[in-house]
Amino acid sequence: MGKARILAAAFAALCLAAPASAADQGVTDTEILLGEVEPLSGPPGLLGIAHNIGVKLALAEANANGGINGRKLRLIAEDDGYVSSRTIQSLRKLISVDRVFALTSLSGSGQAVASISLVEQTGIPTIVSIGPVEPLYNPPRENVFVVGQSYEEGMRKLALYLAEKHPDARWGVVTQDDDYGVALREGLEKAKAEKNFNVVFESIYARGQKDFSSEIRRARDANVDVFIAGGIISENVAMVKEMETLGMKPAVGIFWPGRVSAVLNLIGPASDGLYAVDYVEPLGSEAGKAFVELAKKYLSEDEVKHINRYTMTGYAGARVLLSAIERCGDDLTWKCVNGQLAQTKDLKTGVMAPITFEQGSRFSNQPLHIMKADYANKTFVLVDD
Amino acid sequence: MTFLTELIVSGLAIGAIYGLIAMSFAVIYKATGLVNFAQGEVAMIVAYVAWTISVHVDGNPFVVAAAAIVFAGLFGLAIERLVIRPMMGEPVFTTIMVTIGLAVVLRSSIVFLWDAYPHALDLGVGQEILEVGGVRLRSGQVAVFLILIAVIVGFFIFFRRSRFGVAMRAVASDDRTALLMGVSTARVQSVAWAVATIISGIAGVMFAIIYELSPVMFTLGLKAFPATILGGLDSVLGTAFGGLVIGTAENLVGGYFDPRMKEVAGFIIIILILMVRPFGLFGTRRIERV
Repeated sequence: MGKARILAAAFAALCLAAPASAADQGVTDTEILLGEVEPLSGPPGLLGIAHNIGVKLALAEANANGGINGRKLRLIAEDDGYVSSRTIQSLRKLISVDRVFALTSLSGSGQAVASISLVEQTGIPTIVSIGPVEPLYNPPRENVFVVGQSYEEGMRKLALYLAEKHPDARWGVVTQDDDYGVALREGLEKAKAEKNFNVVFESIYARGQKDFSSEIRRARDANVDVFIAGGIISENVAMVKEMETLGMKPAVGIFWPGRVSAVLNLIGPASDGLYAVDYVEPLGSEAGKAFVELAKKYLSEDEVKHINRYTMTGYAGARVLLSAIERCGDDLTWKCVNGQLAQTKDLKTGVMAPITFEQGSRFSNQPLHIMKADYANKTFVLVDD
Repeated sequence: MTFLTELIVSGLAIGAIYGLIAMSFAVIYKATGLVNFAQGEVAMIVAYVAWTISVHVDGNPFVVAAAAIVFAGLFGLAIERLVIRPMMGEPVFTTIMVTIGLAVVLRSSIVFLWDAYPHALDLGVGQEILEVGGVRLRSGQVAVFLILIAVIVGFFIFFRRSRFGVAMRAVASDDRTALLMGVSTARVQSVAWAVATIISGIAGVMFAIIYELSPVMFTLGLKAFPATILGGLDSVLGTAFGGLVIGTAENLVGGYFDPRMKEVAGFIIIILILMVRPFGLFGTRRIERV
């Protein structure tokens, strides 16, 4: 073996050994340093900024109560602009340069999938609570914990509810041409296998599309009674407004990334009665109102203004991590925290059902709720409880 | 037949927005020989400023329109004076790279100055549902088409009848000769930037009224660029036609073929057209005598 190869092998061994010896990085006698990556600029900032506020809230609440085992919490948030290469770059910085102890976010689903092997290799305790997609928890990874529910299951639940509510309806479905759209279509297929509803119009649009006049006219001519608007925000707004223009009034189902009050404002009165699915509480519910009150206590007025459902997911994910850190006491190592995270059981966050990681699973598998838009109060209300 | 008519009419409405931005690309190119890749971002900034004004004046459409036009004019002049003029004498490619940099800066400034949330530009107009010949549209969609027609007519008269329009054509034809004949090319170029910003600003505001105001609005520039190439980069009126063709083609493809092809329909058209007419439908054929 040449000298270069021996050096390379030694370097690789050193890299592999690094996680074990650096397991307690980011921890001092007085502080625990945490990090996260998410889009804090550009259009996806709608979710990243809100998520960041939720994590900040959980940390502020813990710090106000004296920190965890006498240590205060500090967060470094990196902006990846929703670009996978920047996510990986930011994670490398957080882990190797800032030397954070744990991660509270890996950005959106695509970015998290792109960076999952890097995170897995290091062994750093990691929470995923923005884009909970299956490749992140199946197969389970020792140090990656996904809080939420899959898009596929969400779509299945929404479709089953609408099929029950509107038997013998003619369905129209418009979805996006990416992994998000694929997950929604798979969920729909599963529901269809169970309820056998009649999809008479199906269309896939290219991400970034603005005008849906041709799709909605085709849906109208197919006489759809139930319509799945499988966009995120702008696309759903455009679809529903086009239906209003054409005088169509089908039952419309939307998905959780767009379940924000801004959508109701943008669509206007035609948004009243939209069905949505989610695993976090609506802001208009008692739990939602209590969450906003808590946020007012610890966050600035401007931050409170930017609260949406992703603030709740950020808060819940951070609470899961902090609880595991707390249970480790002074033995604050990655191994201990990963072990405690795996044993999380019925952790109440107030913003979603209690969180549990079943034996061997790294997915919290949150129960879902169906909600209906209440335009007058600019909120969503639970309809299946 | 009704379905076809509906697709054409609603396609013309979105095409009118592309057409206005395409015209603004051409105005700058005609006066400066430069393609400003920040034109979509400029439209977005003007729309955001209009929204900010609307919030402060309780949505009075006349006040908002007047203030937005004044802002757009000044904004265009500022870009020309602060960003483009210092590049005078540098290779065109370098200046184009500067416009790409400007686009990124303007795009990022939205989240810094405003936020990442989508908003409605509510001026109390544009959302009414009209039925014209059996086709249902929002009044804003009808309005943007009429605005495009008005801008086309305005430009036609401007280029043919006004001294400044003739001066602009002279600069476009040969700026050095125009300079020798006493035309202030710097002034022509400044005005071109101001006018182009106003036109694209109108498109941005109309888009925000009809659809929404959001940080992804800059992509309108990407949609309008094929229209500019289709119509002919140096043909202001041709580019307006290009916009209408692209908008209508997108809708027809979405209505009769695979909707996934909508976004690429415009590019397929320009590939086909440019293979036959490399200078666009109405662009000037360059002849070099050797």
